[in-house]
Amino acid sequence: MNDDSSPSHTQGHENAESLDRFSYDDGIVRLFFWATLVWAIVAFTVGVFIALLLVLPDLSGGLPYLAFGRLRPLHTNAAIFAFAGNALFAATYYSTQRLVKARMWSDALSRLHFWGWQLIIVAAALTLPLGITQGKEYAELEWPIDIAIAVVWVGFFGVNFFMTLKHRRERHLYVAIWFYIATIITVAVLHVFNNLVLPVDALKSIPIYAGVQDAFMQWWYGHNAVAFFLTTPFLGLMYYFLPKAAERPVFSYKLSILHFWSLVFIYIWAGPHHLHYTALPQWASALGMVFSVMLWMPSWGGMINGLLTLRGAWHKVAEDPVLKFFVTGVTFYGMSTFEGPMLSVRAVNALSHYTDWTIAHVHSGALGWNGMMSFGMLYFLAPRLFQTKLWSKKLATWHFWIATVGLVLYIVPIYVAGLTQGLMWRAFDDMGNLAYPNFVETVEAIKPMWWVRVLGGTLYLTGGVLALVNLVKTWQGRPKTYEVPVVSAPPLAREYRDPPPPAPRAEAVPEFAKRFDVWLQLAWHRIWERKPLRFSLWVTAAVVTASLFEIIPTFLIRSNVPTIASVRPYTPLELAGRDIYVAEGCYNCHSQMIRPIFSETERYGEYSKPGEFVYDRPFQWGSRRIGPDLAREGGKQSNLWQYVHLVNPRDIDENSVMPSYAFLTRERLDFRQIPPRVAAAAALGAPYGEALDHAEAMARAQAKTIADSIVAQGGPASVALDNGETIPLEETKAIALIAYLQRLGTDLYAQPAEASAQRSAGPTAGKKAAP
Amino acid sequence: MTTKAEQDILLDHNYDGIQEYDNPLPGWWSGLFVGSIVFSILYLLYHHTGVEGRSIYDEYDREAAEVFEKRFAELGELTPDKQTILKYMEDPKWLAVGASIFKANCVSCHGDGGLGNVGPNLTDDAWINVQSVEDIAKVITNGAAGGAMPAWKNRLSHPNQIVLTAAYVASLRGKGGGGKAPQGRTIPPWK
Repeated sequence: MNDDSSPSHTQGHENAESLDRFSYDDGIVRLFFWATLVWAIVAFTVGVFIALLLVLPDLSGGLPYLAFGRLRPLHTNAAIFAFAGNALFAATYYSTQRLVKARMWSDALSRLHFWGWQLIIVAAALTLPLGITQGKEYAELEWPIDIAIAVVWVGFFGVNFFMTLKHRRERHLYVAIWFYIATIITVAVLHVFNNLVLPVDALKSIPIYAGVQDAFMQWWYGHNAVAFFLTTPFLGLMYYFLPKAAERPVFSYKLSILHFWSLVFIYIWAGPHHLHYTALPQWASALGMVFSVMLWMPSWGGMINGLLTLRGAWHKVAEDPVLKFFVTGVTFYGMSTFEGPMLSVRAVNALSHYTDWTIAHVHSGALGWNGMMSFGMLYFLAPRLFQTKLWSKKLATWHFWIATVGLVLYIVPIYVAGLTQGLMWRAFDDMGNLAYPNFVETVEAIKPMWWVRVLGGTLYLTGGVLALVNLVKTWQGRPKTYEVPVVSAPPLAREYRDPPPPAPRAEAVPEFAKRFDVWLQLAWHRIWERKPLRFSLWVTAAVVTASLFEIIPTFLIRSNVPTIASVRPYTPLELAGRDIYVAEGCYNCHSQMIRPIFSETERYGEYSKPGEFVYDRPFQWGSRRIGPDLAREGGKQSNLWQYVHLVNPRDIDENSVMPSYAFLTRERLDFRQIPPRVAAAAALGAPYGEALDHAEAMARAQAKTIADSIVAQGGPASVALDNGETIPLEETKAIALIAYLQRLGTDLYAQPAEASAQRSAGPTAGKKAAP
Repeated sequence: MTTKAEQDILLDHNYDGIQEYDNPLPGWWSGLFVGSIVFSILYLLYHHTGVEGRSIYDEYDREAAEVFEKRFAELGELTPDKQTILKYMEDPKWLAVGASIFKANCVSCHGDGGLGNVGPNLTDDAWINVQSVEDIAKVITNGAAGGAMPAWKNRLSHPNQIVLTAAYVASLRGKGGGGKAPQGRTIPPWK
């Protein structure tokens, strides 16, 4: 960059004689550059694979490590934290140094950050296929990895970044830096508070929150992970790289200020819109909705500032692949941030929730916004980092077009699939019966769209491979040793006088109006911009205050979580079964939340009540119904049916897309691990009483009852393990899972006296009459 | 080339060569922002100030009442006795309702058309827990065989659904052809 060393126009640099001479650390940017690219390919490949699993469920070969429920979290984590994460780090390290005219404070911390983060990703890639998970979307990683994330994010990245700001040579902070500040602070807060857990052992924990409160915390986190991991840092990226590539000034400084603060303050409220019609109190999801609606314009402020910065530079878009990626990325940002508020509206959400519509929405954000912005940045950076020309501009342009076509082929059929399935679920015939009572019918209808999605995803992946080829070739053309330009800039003078405050723009008005007018001219904000600490404190105040407004009532008002006398803790065996349910990632395809919508209660039974979830750690309400809801699965099928269905769902329905869980019938349940698990639940308040002392015996007794009933109905009495050993059916993991499934949603109908009997006898049908 | 952009006022900001214009907020942007805030306040006032009839549960009750009206207004409340079940067995309109419920809840065990799968074949003359036609309604209501056949009394939203489903199941007898081998004892015809 020829302007790297140009003198700044900002005031306060009188001591021109005492220039600091320094260089930027581009080595760290190169590391994050390659990591972005490699993890992009990994994330897309896993995505294409799991998309294929939905249309070819036997493709996993019955291997637990390749089951959809285990790999989908790997895909989302790889896309968010590995691909987008490394991209945002590359952007932050490259632009921050230049925007504040200072090398990163500590090269060692930069490296620790890089290698620490890659290790975390590798740990994720190992643990998730093994079924080691917290069972909360985008927060699946278990507690030791969570601690590592906190250390790397705050201790390495955060400290390094803020110390760099402290030692800056640019008086004022540019808008990109504001967005990075908001990112670092808020992600730290979200990550820590959503992951407060009680460890059971080295690789298993349960959240301190249960049921409704856990759901609330999770979506406060989940939505703001989108906000502060996939939006704010990428807006920072846009604010640096887009004007750089276009060589145009940013459209409006005022708009930057307004949309930054409104975005930061409003975004944090929006999470509960993921929980419309659930057992969450209605006021909370309503707040989530209205703040999402109010978020539309703050989001579009970023799009406007991006697109209008290109005024007078559109001819460059035609020839520069970098700008093509940026323009498409910003356009998709605009589309998703219109769609987001729309989906948050309760009436729309009633149709869209649990369908592929959400999947289309997040992919227009992730592939359209994050993906396109990241690739644009990589193509911008490559010639600068490797100090040579991009190997092939033509190939980059091909990448752009292939990715764009892939993107459209991904999202359009998935929109159609979402709408189709949503409408089929709620359709009634002339007599008022469900028009498509068999759930599998509604899956059959959208399989063709799933095939087109596979094609779209494959094209997007192909684009990524083209980028890899192009950028490796570019790298091969690098000089023997990289030139390290020396930058010179004066240190910040101790004394600084702000320009005089602006004059009111009207004279014949009262004093307070004059003051207000001066305030409106935002000179005060210019002062904040040279005080990183004050700026960061205000950001913290904005996100924390907004969060507390929702969190405190959710936790304090008892009536928000009505308790139901007949709801009892899970039996020891059911608890073990629930852990299997969580480990297998069943929540990726099955919800456990029947909404008070008539078509839904007709299909699944009485709608879910908040008090039914008080022992659910973690909550398993889910967000997508690739299979039917399971909130009232208990007692709906015989034990034998559950067994046969687990072994091969296509023996029950040939069109089912559920993978085979036959491996659960070939794995021994470790009964000795049950007592500490029960103790952990008891430590968090579940009233187990005496059961604590003989949890294992109780579990064995219940397993025997269930296995006996399966045998009586014609199932096998014993099964062969993979090592050839034969064990009784009651010792397999499948029985524990069946115990859990048969308990789901039954407590509502149990009499209090009966409930305690159930704990040893397993589920029985309730006595209460239909409502 | 002169564009509007070149007449805008540049601020004296310069960050690594990036400059910023002092452009005002677009009017439509501010307008929609204020509009969304006003909408939000009105929405909360309408839905969350405790006025009856506006909650999602009120909506649910209205919807349920409407559908029940459509479905069962002309039926009234049916009793699950022999006469009633036999009557609706002959009524194609109401049999379709039973068929729909069967498709939603029963085919996963009893197979398409009741030919049997994990659960027994319902098209042959052999029955396990049924002696006469009203027993079908009892088995649907309370379940059988220690939960192998689940109880549906809490799961179906209206008692008429049990009667109509029983009628549909009764109508399946003799409509088989293949399917799972007979289980239980052979019983006399329904009538």
